[in-house]
Amino acid sequence: MNANALDAVAPLLSVSGLSKHYGGVRAIDELEFSLPRGAVLGIIGPNGAGKSTLIGLLGGALRPTAGRIQFNGADVTRWPAAERARLGIGRTYQIPRPFLDLSVRENLLAGQYALQPLIARRQAIAASTAILERTGLADAADLPARALPLLRRKRLEVARALALRPRLLLLDEVGAGLVDSEVGELITLIKALARELEGLIIIEHVLRVVRECCAQLMVVNFGRKLAEGPTAEVLASEQVAAVYLGTAHGGGAPSAAPAAAVSGLTSLVAAEIPQRAASAVALLELREVHAGYGLARVLNGVSLTVRAGQAVAILGTNGAGKTTLAGVISGLIRPTAGALYIDGIDRTGTAAHVIARLGLAQCMEGRRIFAPLSVEENLLLAAGAVRKLESQRRLDQVYQLFPVLRERRSQGGTSMSGGQQQMLAIGRALMSRPRLIVFDEISLGLAPLVMDQLYAALAALRDAGLTLLIVEQDVQRALDLADEVHVMEHGRIALSGTAAQVRENPVLRHLYIGTAD
Amino acid sequence: MLILFAALALLSGWAGDYVLELAFRVLVLMTLAEAWNLLAGYGGLVSLGTASFVGIGAYVLVGAMNRGLPLALAWAGAGLASAVLALLVSRAVFRLRGLYFTVGTLALAEALRLFMVNYQPLGGAIGLFLNPDAPGLRGLFLLALGLFAAATLLMQLATSSRYSILLRAVRDDEDAAAQMGVRPFRIKLLAFIVASVLMGLAGALQGLKLGAVEPYGMFGLQWTVSVLAIVIIGGQGQRLAAVIGALFVVALGELLANYPAVHLAITGLILILVIRFAPQGLAGLSTRVWRRVRGAVPT
Repeated sequence: MNANALDAVAPLLSVSGLSKHYGGVRAIDELEFSLPRGAVLGIIGPNGAGKSTLIGLLGGALRPTAGRIQFNGADVTRWPAAERARLGIGRTYQIPRPFLDLSVRENLLAGQYALQPLIARRQAIAASTAILERTGLADAADLPARALPLLRRKRLEVARALALRPRLLLLDEVGAGLVDSEVGELITLIKALARELEGLIIIEHVLRVVRECCAQLMVVNFGRKLAEGPTAEVLASEQVAAVYLGTAHGGGAPSAAPAAAVSGLTSLVAAEIPQRAASAVALLELREVHAGYGLARVLNGVSLTVRAGQAVAILGTNGAGKTTLAGVISGLIRPTAGALYIDGIDRTGTAAHVIARLGLAQCMEGRRIFAPLSVEENLLLAAGAVRKLESQRRLDQVYQLFPVLRERRSQGGTSMSGGQQQMLAIGRALMSRPRLIVFDEISLGLAPLVMDQLYAALAALRDAGLTLLIVEQDVQRALDLADEVHVMEHGRIALSGTAAQVRENPVLRHLYIGTAD
Repeated sequence: MLILFAALALLSGWAGDYVLELAFRVLVLMTLAEAWNLLAGYGGLVSLGTASFVGIGAYVLVGAMNRGLPLALAWAGAGLASAVLALLVSRAVFRLRGLYFTVGTLALAEALRLFMVNYQPLGGAIGLFLNPDAPGLRGLFLLALGLFAAATLLMQLATSSRYSILLRAVRDDEDAAAQMGVRPFRIKLLAFIVASVLMGLAGALQGLKLGAVEPYGMFGLQWTVSVLAIVIIGGQGQRLAAVIGALFVVALGELLANYPAVHLAITGLILILVIRFAPQGLAGLSTRVWRRVRGAVPT
């Protein structure tokens, strides 16, 4: 048997006894698996299961506490990240880390020049152009990466990893936040890559991607392997439903915790009108608002009314202007035309901190937790200058709503899993005892079970009288929660109505819900 | 560019002593600023160790010439010694990142200064005197001009080549760069050595001109601080930062030469204003104004 034949038999990647401990916390614990040549392996698991740690260990960013990683027959356990990349292991970051002050194309060239310092310039440019076209970034090639919004940065993560011409590609939640048609594009790309590359590992919460792209699926929980096998079988197992999928997919899941807390939420919710019947007072009103960045027009005349006690959802594809709208409401983005009224008073152009003081809080896209502060400090900071007794009372109620935050109170804010950070972000918005909270994409990148918990908490807050404005990608969950729904398209509101009306509208079904689930 | 340098060299024949004096100072500061800009502006390596390399360069040059070596060899030795020092400390200082790197280089400079003050064989606090004759003022000016031309050429290479993409990638995110197959240590080391050699050569010229070197002057913090001020006022990571910043700072110094206290206060004030209102320095500011004048979209 010659070396080539041996190559074909040995798995591309094999991991044995892999562990990573942080102090007493076992992020990855005795993990064992292998990836045959040409295979696509999906990895799912609850937030905080250790999936991103695993990617870090495979890519070389983290050193394992114990265990062995073999790539292509070589033991790479102790190899630094750069050497593994040169061997052909490419990875993406779940939270994109582009080279901010390089152009999008230079982000790709960095990898190409690092591997082939003497490659002809024209060849490198052509290769980068091809990758940018494939990943839908061709129009942004000369923009600084800093100018890209979150979801395009995710595309850049994929593009940059491809610039390495990897043999094995590790994709960490690249599908988060995409609408159905974009998920379709992503699946097409992944399937094409699966034919070109020697192996793919996909960590993903968007189940459609997992279902359509991965033949094999591994479920990770508490750093250990919970299940492994053909994707359909694994997804159908009851054990997986219990720890991961939650109610939306048929498994029985706990949703009781927030309901029990409803009675005690009065310290967090400044509702003058306790019953949910929409009052005559327009808490927030936008009239023909136009806004944008430089020459890019994002909002083209949006009118919107939110009454006290209402739950209003804004739906729409990426790039429809949802996040910009949230920015206008918070006072971070100044509209170029139109007006913003709060309690019937014109507040157009009022500074963000003044608007916050009027009782409008934000739960921003991307969470924006203060990393150097502990969980409790993050929360207390948001309470502002209230008496200690009062802030303590609010703190207790946030902990009641999200008990896990109490357990992690002295931990660093960003050391928690994605779902817990999102809970912290919501808790922080609540600490100022607002009348209205704008929730911007809170379900982005979360496991279905965690989304259930978050939405149960939102329902409890709604029932306690808080006014909610939800900007959301997850149509189904938003429709379940909201009284009134607006669908945005190209910077204006294309469709409005009650949740029931919108649900029945065939246009929406076609555009955003699709038929996959 | 070349023509400009040649013209300057020719014109220097008619220049008076004051002009040559001033031009020499500007050129040395520009060279140091170019080197520091390569490190901090393009490489993200904010170093407070400029004085270490200025001092080493000056001491090596004076020491070597006193032992009878010709100027050319002594000068080359100064550059080489700086490169060796950079190589020796690189393992230690690159283990530190961000602010810690900055503090590490400051510690290096201070440690070297204290060592020189107390080490008698190199003259201790008194320092060394240059025994052979130094070239005249015009000669010194031409040497400085040549050095600055070399620095400009090197910077042109380092900032427009594929190496600059790798260096800026490491600056923006070292870990992500490593995941892309970039070897951050080598990339940073190259920038560090190039900058250190330039600093050493500039320091050597300064030593040659003074005819005497002593630790408080050559290893003093004022080198580090004035170079930092020049680049920040000029514009970190901007190609013209060193030239604009050095001209500005030296011109300001000359205008306020009779009011040293006012000079310091005004320099400080300008630094604060630039950091607050023009984070890309005067170079960045003028590009922005220029674009606006031409009616293009400000970025």
